[in-house]
Amino acid sequence: MSKLASSRPAIELRNVSRRYTDPGGRSVGVQPTSLSVPQGEIHGIIGFSGAGKSTLLRLVNLLERPDAGEVIVHGDDLTRLSAAGLRQARHRIGMIFQHFNLLHNQTVADNVALPMRIAGADPARIRERVQVCLDFVGLAEKADVYPGRLSGGQKQRVAIARALAPEPHVLLADEPTSALDPRTTLDLLGVLANANRQFGVTILLVSHEMEVIRRLCHRVSVMEGGHIVEQLDIADGRIPEGSQLASWLSDFGAVGPAASPSPATDADEPTPRHFALEAAHA
Amino acid sequence: MLDTLIELLPEILKATGETLLMLAICLSAAILIGGALGLLVFLTSKGQSLERFRAFNLIANGVINVVRSFPFIILLVAISPFTRVIAGTSIGPLAASVPLSIAAIFYFARLIEQTLRDVPRGVIEAAEAMGASPLQIIRHVLLVEGRSGLILAVTVLAVSFLSYSAVAGVVGGGGIGDLAIRYGYYRFQTDVMLITIVLLVVLVQSIQFFGQWFARHVDKR
Repeated sequence: MSKLASSRPAIELRNVSRRYTDPGGRSVGVQPTSLSVPQGEIHGIIGFSGAGKSTLLRLVNLLERPDAGEVIVHGDDLTRLSAAGLRQARHRIGMIFQHFNLLHNQTVADNVALPMRIAGADPARIRERVQVCLDFVGLAEKADVYPGRLSGGQKQRVAIARALAPEPHVLLADEPTSALDPRTTLDLLGVLANANRQFGVTILLVSHEMEVIRRLCHRVSVMEGGHIVEQLDIADGRIPEGSQLASWLSDFGAVGPAASPSPATDADEPTPRHFALEAAHA
Repeated sequence: MLDTLIELLPEILKATGETLLMLAICLSAAILIGGALGLLVFLTSKGQSLERFRAFNLIANGVINVVRSFPFIILLVAISPFTRVIAGTSIGPLAASVPLSIAAIFYFARLIEQTLRDVPRGVIEAAEAMGASPLQIIRHVLLVEGRSGLILAVTVLAVSFLSYSAVAGVVGGGGIGDLAIRYGYYRFQTDVMLITIVLLVVLVQSIQFFGQWFARHVDKR
């Protein structure tokens, strides 16, 4: 990574907005909002359903086109690129999803190879990266298995390996653990923290689960009604007192209706394990 | 009945050959042209990656519906001037392949478009996020995730058009259906009728069996 590259933010959203009407007829989405994520940071976006957090994330690789504003990833304003230019830029932006979105008719190895094949990489290089990334997520022995034979946690690991294969600058994670049980969630947070540490990939992650934010992220943006209403540093997994997020935490225990009680959200736990910080100190 | 069978064997073989020829031609046309048309209609539908060409989608949908509205026998007669231009004649299996192909192209286009809707949107979106072009989405996602559905679509197409090819027999198209009509129906030779029906049943069963086996074989979901 060049010095120039490390001096500018990995992701910069400038006054982006994206409005649409939900099935209930309400106008939802993202109000004019700005967000800057420095290189190497794990940045969380948290909020209730309909707060616009997934829309905001999908603006970063232009799966949603903003009505207005600039989307700058690694120095390029994606909104100004041609269709071919945007495809080039997307080769270096990885993404993982709540429901994994693997190809079920392809083996694990072929799934991981897919983004590099799309980018037109050299076959020898693809083989090498597939091996490295499957080793990284601990699924090297599953290379020739079809995803239908894997558990949810393993599928998400394959999806992470797939996203990391083309050596992305940025990894977008859209509710990556929301379909998984608490134990598997913890495992996956460890994998994401390692990816951030080993490969220096900047991670922007959307979740409605407070534990995910608390244990993984360096910083968090709190969204409400399409705006980022608050940005906080997460030190040692602690949510700063007096913040909006801390008041939600005391009101609801967690954010969002789908958050389920689990050993991990036990209020008595003295210091929650913080993956990213542990990694940083390791 | 055995005597009839032996006596008519050359006719039956010739008719089977004609039927297979008509099927081969119209299935090839349907898979190549109808398949491409179906893919384009799917990709230009709402929420897909070529949604910006909605105008094409509306027009193509309209044309598919119009062609599919024609009862096949009417289509056969209506386009006979066009058939003469293409095939040089309006009689025989080659000529019958022209209306058969046209009907098959639009039938298959609709079938493909509907089959592809079963490919989860999220998987297509994941490929878009990787920077896949529409052609790459077709090659790496739609043809891969949709493949067992596509094979079953070809199976349905083959069975339907085996039966349509019998209708073509009415205007001198030849084939097994033509044999059934000429001997079995016009001449009241019930044994010929039975032989041809048994032959058609065997053909349909084989197509269906092979199609389903193949579709299951490639389905790893």
